[in-house]
Amino acid sequence: MNFNFDLVVNSFPLLLLGAGVTIKITVLSVAVGVVIGLLVGIMRICSILPLRWLGAIYVDFFRGTPLLVQIFLVYFALPVITGQRVDPFFAAIASCGINSGAYVAEIFRAGIQSIDEGQMEAGRSLGMTWVQTMRYIIIPQAFKRVIPPLGNEFIALLKDSSLVSVIGFEELTRRGQLIIAKTYGSLEIWFSVAVIYLAMTLTISRFVAYLEWRYKTDDRN
Amino acid sequence: MIEIKDLHKSYGDVEVLKGIDLTVNEKEVVVIIGPSGSGKSTFLRCMNYLEVPTSGMVKVDGIELGKDSNINKVREEVGMVFQRFNLFPHMTVIENIMLAPIKVRHVSRSEAEKTAMELLDRVGLADRAAAYPNQLSGGQQQRVAIARALAMKPKVMLFDEPTSALDPEMVGEVLDVMRKLAEEGMTMVIVTHEMGFAREVGDRLLFVDEGKILEQGDPKEVFEHPKEERTKAFLSKVL
Repeated sequence: MNFNFDLVVNSFPLLLLGAGVTIKITVLSVAVGVVIGLLVGIMRICSILPLRWLGAIYVDFFRGTPLLVQIFLVYFALPVITGQRVDPFFAAIASCGINSGAYVAEIFRAGIQSIDEGQMEAGRSLGMTWVQTMRYIIIPQAFKRVIPPLGNEFIALLKDSSLVSVIGFEELTRRGQLIIAKTYGSLEIWFSVAVIYLAMTLTISRFVAYLEWRYKTDDRN
Repeated sequence: MIEIKDLHKSYGDVEVLKGIDLTVNEKEVVVIIGPSGSGKSTFLRCMNYLEVPTSGMVKVDGIELGKDSNINKVREEVGMVFQRFNLFPHMTVIENIMLAPIKVRHVSRSEAEKTAMELLDRVGLADRAAAYPNQLSGGQQQRVAIARALAMKPKVMLFDEPTSALDPEMVGEVLDVMRKLAEEGMTMVIVTHEMGFAREVGDRLLFVDEGKILEQGDPKEVFEHPKEERTKAFLSKVL
C-alpha cells in the first residue's frame, strides 16, 4: 500500500474550501430547519385541528421520503413546474432545511410535551394567552431539554449535506470527487475528507456539550 | 362574585359533577371538603375555565364563562393556587411574580418589581427574591405561588388543595398566609383537607360527594351537627 502524503497536503486547501461550503450549507439549513421545526412542532400540538393535520402531513412527508429524492425534486422537478432554473445553492439549502425541519419539529414537539401541564395551567390562570404562555414559560424550558437531540440532528444534517454533491454543488464531498477524478488518489482523498468531516462533527458535539452544561440551571420542579 | 347554576362535567361516560349550584359573595371564604374523587377539584377548576363545563352556567364578576367570553380577561381577576405550586422553574422568585403583571396588565418593570417586593414581604420571603424555585422548600414555594397570584390584584382567589403536597411542618406557614388574606377581606374558594383551618377561617363549608353538594352551612355547625349520613361518615374518618 502506498499512501501519498504529498497529495493529502496539496489537496488540503481545496478540501478546506469545500468544508467551508459544507459549513455554510449546514448553518443556513439549520437556521431554516429550526424556524420550520418550531412552527410545525407547535402546529402539531395546537388546538386548531386543520393546523395539526397540516403539521402531521409535513412531518410524515419529509421524514418519510429520502433526502436525496427531495433534493432531486427541488433541483430537477421544480423547474418543470415553474419553468425557471433553480440555483443549486438555493436547492441545497431549501431541501436540507425543509427536511431537517421535519425532524426538528418532532424534537420540539416532544420537548414541549415533556413540560409539566401545570406550567401551562399556571400561565393561563394568570390571564396570559396561550401564545404568551408558550413564549415565556413553555418554550424556554423546552429549549433546554431539546439541546441534546437538536445537537444530534445538526450533526446528522452536516453529514447529510454531502448528498447535495449530486447536483454538482461543490461542498466537501464533491471537492473530494473532483480531486480524485484528476489524481486517482481515492485512498488519500477519501481519508482526508473523512477526517475533515470528523473534525467538524466533533466540534459540534463539543459545542452541544458546552451548551448543555451552560444551561443546566435549576429547572427541576 | 361567583355564580354557578346547574353545573355538569363529564369525562366521556363518567359524570364527575352532577348539577351544582353555588353563589359566592364578595369577601366570603368558602371552603370545600369531601373525599378524593368527589369532584371538588374539578368543580374549583371550572370556576376559571381550566375545566370546560359540559353544561350549566358559571358567572364570575358578572361575566358568563364560555366560548364567546374573553376568558383571559376573567382569569386576570381570578387568582389560582395549585396543589403542586407550578412555579416557573426557569425564573427567579421575583421574576415569577413580575411576569404576568408586566405581560398582561402592562405595568412598568419598576412598578411590577415594587409590587412583587411588597408581596414577598407579606408572605415573609423578601430575602428570597433572587432565588430559583427549586432552592426553596415546598412551603416557601407555595407562598411564592400565592404572591404570584396576588400580584395580578385578583378579585377572587381559588385554592386547589394548597397544602396537600407539603411536608406537615410546612403546612402552617401557608395556612397563616391564607388566614391573613381572609382577614383582609379577600374573596376565597378553598378546596382543602385541613379541617381545623376550614372550621376556623371558612365563612361557609361545602361538603361535596359524588359530584354534588351534599351539605353546606356554617363550618362549626356542619362539623358539630352534620345532617347527612355521608357527611357524618366522612367527618368521623377525618376529624
